[in-house]
Amino acid sequence: MVTELSESDFDSFVKEHAVALVDCWAPWCGPCRRMGPIIEELAADLDGKVGVAKLNTDDNQDLAYKFGISAIPTLLIFRDGNLADSLVGLRPKEDIIAALGIQR
Amino acid sequence: MNADVFILGSGPAGVQAAIHASRKKVSVLVAGKPSSSAMHGAHIENYFGTGEHPGEEILSEGIAQAESFGAVFLGKNVISASAEGGKFRFALEDGTEVEARSVIIATGISRRKLGIPGEKEFYGKGVSYCASCDCNFYKGRRVAVIGNDSEAAVSAELMTHYASETHWVAWDQEADRHLAEKAVAAGAIMHGSKPKAVEGGGKAEYLVLEDGTRIEADGVFIELGAKSSADIAMDLGVMPEVDDTIRVGADCSTEVPGVFACGDVAGRPWQVAKAVGQGCIAGTNAADFARKAA
Repeated sequence: MVTELSESDFDSFVKEHAVALVDCWAPWCGPCRRMGPIIEELAADLDGKVGVAKLNTDDNQDLAYKFGISAIPTLLIFRDGNLADSLVGLRPKEDIIAALGIQR
Repeated sequence: MNADVFILGSGPAGVQAAIHASRKKVSVLVAGKPSSSAMHGAHIENYFGTGEHPGEEILSEGIAQAESFGAVFLGKNVISASAEGGKFRFALEDGTEVEARSVIIATGISRRKLGIPGEKEFYGKGVSYCASCDCNFYKGRRVAVIGNDSEAAVSAELMTHYASETHWVAWDQEADRHLAEKAVAAGAIMHGSKPKAVEGGGKAEYLVLEDGTRIEADGVFIELGAKSSADIAMDLGVMPEVDDTIRVGADCSTEVPGVFACGDVAGRPWQVAKAVGQGCIAGTNAADFARKAA
């Protein structure tokens, strides 16, 4: 299972990973449900290289607002704790790996 | 209404499926509008035995053929779907409810993008293709919903519950009248001109129409065509691929027993010949499935 973040542990999670990928989603969002299994696979494939987590934007609206999210799914990529990139919409695994710039 | 086989889509795959299923003496209902099939406006010149022919003519001939075997074409789009205890239930845009023993998804690949300036630039910065996903981000803000069909009417009505101001842009209105009236009664402001551009600074601020109207909009929801095949598939328990196609076996079955898919929605090549081939397989197998389930 991929870690579900909230206000209390968001900052520490993105800071303790050199590269972190956060999948912003909500339960009623169809494309988000399709992104779910892709994120699970990435978490397994990139274990030890990228911190992979999920953020429910319905339960964490302040964080969603802070990062300017207005469409889901959105993937946030953090490098050294700073927001480096965001990918909007359902994406194939290969696109996400390319955006992360990680060698598998 | 009840059906042994319910077919979503009345393009070449759906029509061929209807012909083969109805010839197996099961009851067949077909949803969808033939005019929204990619074949309808196409000039077909690579389909066996027809020479050069307008797609519209081949389609209407095929529909007449299927009707002669007992298939009923409803001419309406599906707006919701569910699966429970081996039964598949659907609501159509005019309020008709359908319960079926087996389902064939033959909805084709729909065009979701408008292709106007600013659309790509502001995607995720005001532009969205999913009102039900993103409505929550527009509480108390101004939005515009773009689309001519019932799906846009449903989205416009939904947005009135969140936004401070909801505009609905439909230049070639084809939505069910009751759904359109419901959206307007809920407060959606109608515009009858085509969208021309999304404009703004770092995010969407205006939707500009061809007649010169500038709608102040923080959110622009593009809801073209009918409910997407991907959404319908998920409602039935089938997980679509990232590119919105549905993975099928050689027998056109999906991961959910009783749910079949054929034609463009089942992947390339996007050709009439492949669509009717798969339609034949899906129609035959869905009819057999329904008989066994009866």
